[in-house]
Amino acid sequence: MILPIGPIHPSLKEPLRLKLKTQGEKVLSAEIDYGYVHRGIERIMKGKTWQKGIYLSERVCGICSYIHTQTFAETFESIAGETAPLRAQFLRVLTNELDRIQSHLLANSTYFKSLEHETLFMYMLYLREPVMDAIELLTGNRVNMGWNVVGGVRMDAKQTHLDSIMKIMLNLESEYDRYVQMFEKGPLVGLRSHDVGKMTRDEAIKARAVGPIGRASGLEHDLRENHHTYRDHLDLKVIWRKEGDNFARNMNRFDEITQSINLIKQVIENLPEGEVRKKIDIPAGYGDWRNEAPRGEVTYTIETNGNLIKNISIRTPSIMNIDACAKYMFNDVATVSDAVATYASVDPCIACTERVVIVDEFGKSQEFDYPNYPGNMKLKI
Amino acid sequence: MSSVIWYLYEFARKSWAEKFTVAKTEQEIMETPSRWRNFPEVRKEYCIACGACTAACPAPMAIKLVRSSDTSEEEGITYPVINTRGCIRCGFCAEVCPTDPKTLLCGENHLIREEFTILPVDKMFVMDDYLCIRCKKCLNSCKVGAVSEVDGKMVIDQSKCIACGECIKNCPVKGAIKGVFISHVEEQKEIINLVVNTLENRINAEQDKIKDLEPEEVYKFDFPIDELVEQAREIIPKEELIRDTFEKITDRLKMRVITWDDEKCKSCKLCVDECPVGAITYDEDKGIQRDQDKCLKCSTCYQTCPFGVAGFYVARFLLSEAKLDEGVIHVTVKPSQLPV
Amino acid sequence: MLDALKDVIRKSSIHVCLINTGGCNGCDIEVVALLSPRYDLEQYGIYVHNNPREADVILVAGAVTEQWREKLQRIYAKVPEPKIVVAIGNCPLSGDVFNQEGSSVYAPVSDFIPVDAEVSGCPPRPSEILAAILSVGPNAIAARGRQKL
Repeated sequence: MILPIGPIHPSLKEPLRLKLKTQGEKVLSAEIDYGYVHRGIERIMKGKTWQKGIYLSERVCGICSYIHTQTFAETFESIAGETAPLRAQFLRVLTNELDRIQSHLLANSTYFKSLEHETLFMYMLYLREPVMDAIELLTGNRVNMGWNVVGGVRMDAKQTHLDSIMKIMLNLESEYDRYVQMFEKGPLVGLRSHDVGKMTRDEAIKARAVGPIGRASGLEHDLRENHHTYRDHLDLKVIWRKEGDNFARNMNRFDEITQSINLIKQVIENLPEGEVRKKIDIPAGYGDWRNEAPRGEVTYTIETNGNLIKNISIRTPSIMNIDACAKYMFNDVATVSDAVATYASVDPCIACTERVVIVDEFGKSQEFDYPNYPGNMKLKI
Repeated sequence: MSSVIWYLYEFARKSWAEKFTVAKTEQEIMETPSRWRNFPEVRKEYCIACGACTAACPAPMAIKLVRSSDTSEEEGITYPVINTRGCIRCGFCAEVCPTDPKTLLCGENHLIREEFTILPVDKMFVMDDYLCIRCKKCLNSCKVGAVSEVDGKMVIDQSKCIACGECIKNCPVKGAIKGVFISHVEEQKEIINLVVNTLENRINAEQDKIKDLEPEEVYKFDFPIDELVEQAREIIPKEELIRDTFEKITDRLKMRVITWDDEKCKSCKLCVDECPVGAITYDEDKGIQRDQDKCLKCSTCYQTCPFGVAGFYVARFLLSEAKLDEGVIHVTVKPSQLPV
Repeated sequence: MLDALKDVIRKSSIHVCLINTGGCNGCDIEVVALLSPRYDLEQYGIYVHNNPREADVILVAGAVTEQWREKLQRIYAKVPEPKIVVAIGNCPLSGDVFNQEGSSVYAPVSDFIPVDAEVSGCPPRPSEILAAILSVGPNAIAARGRQKL
């Protein structure tokens, strides 16, 4: 029989329909149906300047919202052929790693909630709050920060801010191991996640999995190794595992948090002096840029004519990861509750995923036009 | 036994029991750091109504400029008003406000004061040196100090200009300061080609009346532009851009016209070698032929021909002030003053 | 007597259903952060689960997209009386940055279901949501229950 886990479900954060084909309690295969969150962002961005486009690009997704603005700004900088000043690059790395820590803690807490282990769910959220405080001290807002511009960052970080952030990181590091031990050795969560939802290395290559999900299945590949700031000034190691089950994916995220704390300490100790912003004139042209978001690889392709955006195309990592989950991870899942837990361990972010392209029968793509768009709003002041 | 009594004494206190039963949120959880951006705060008295905040806002219905009504004692003032149901708290309006001290306060964004501005502008303002009369009215009326005098010429600093349009309003000469649309450059080129080709074809159709003009006479006619406007709207449906492009074409265009009178030709073939692009050819049966598409209107054939077969005229244009659909271009054709 | 008992129960135990109709997830994450031990919403008796059949308060976050138009009205009809609808964030109020030409967003949400309270901001800070809930919250459902009778 076909069991739908519908758009609204206690363990799902976002609307999506999972259709599981079951025989008794065993799951045979799954099909994923998405499309509930399409807002038409690429269509809105056409014909606008980059100053208005950068606020739209950070509202593509609210969990990984920082990396979208950084990729947008770096694409424009690569079209102009210049880079941001060095102090701005270091500050960008600082915010990027803070964002990565809070996203991984949230992903793991969702996994524990779907297994109904409330203790670890609350502990992960308790660890996450000081990190959000650090982001708010630096940029001005917890989510949707509005801190990047083409040519650098907006505001400088004073020495008092950096000292507070260092104190928060030392605090986090001292009590972090206790909670990871609770997961690794605990019989309720850790040992239950072994050998569930396995994906081998060949299947990961066929499904084109990216991010921590690909790295937990044996693909040793991290885009931060090719970025000019990480390559020339900082010290980075790729973290990967071989098994490819739920346990490996969660442990991979925990290990990446430790590495991010290390990177933040390096940045704060070696921060150079200088200005944080410069003016860049953008010629007409075409460019693209790739970056490592907390969930994988995010790609922006932009074509401009002078200051305006003529055409834009965004590719987010959850598109590939969700398909990999639906095809390959449900083969040996024992029960329906394990299926929901497997889906939560893949860390999906549906708001990033909505892109629509219409192709007619000759293979050429068309414009997407809603005939009855009402969109007029009575303004009340 | 004593430990039991000690435990009971420790835990049976009122404050401990109260912590379980009464729910409370501490005051320090509700405090916010100094950089946190709340909705922007407006200080009405400093506003100069330049419109930079309204042009910079990314959300469509978050900010607008209003003017309070005039009372008997004083004039009404203009100031921005923010709709909290649409504002995304980004602080961009506080950053671009050019006054000192700033009208809008938002978190710490109003402390940003860079040497250059990143306001998204549609039009770029440039000076036409030939027409400027150096009266300096633009320098006095610029609100951000972007106009200055360098080596006796008036110069606009593009990194400070906020495109508010005050300088054009105060300039007494039409065309000395121009606002050029920097977007849609390809579409502007298409519209210009369309208009120039249409006008040229229309003038060539009136050849017979132009041929017989005396040296001091002029020939005038009116050309209604509603068809042209329809075709321009299909290229790009922006009214302001279309009107702007039409005005700029008609202000400065000086079109050269060549007329050809076949009856006076005696086939001396002097013009065939002189034409630089080979637009004039000689055929045994048909005589001298002129190809209109290749012609550069350089007037070499006019200067060579001894019988006056080629005529050289100059046309100028003026756009009427009516609405775009009822507008008319006044065309004036007169013989050129080139000595032969 | 029975009314007094109903009032006491309605003030001290509130069930909340969170519906995300197509936003960017920022407001969703701020509601989940309210459950963390720092802000601790559950000490007031408020329990966040996502079951419409057992809910007293419906939280709507995100702008209404094309697929959600009829489904939102069906879900609203399934929730038993008395019920209250709260709109969180700027998206259900005015569509925010998405309400420009070329998008597929229908705004505001009060075209589809009636809204009783709103919290504005993009996204609103958890302390702002908490302050709004505490000033209105526990008495609202009891008042709505008394009103229907």
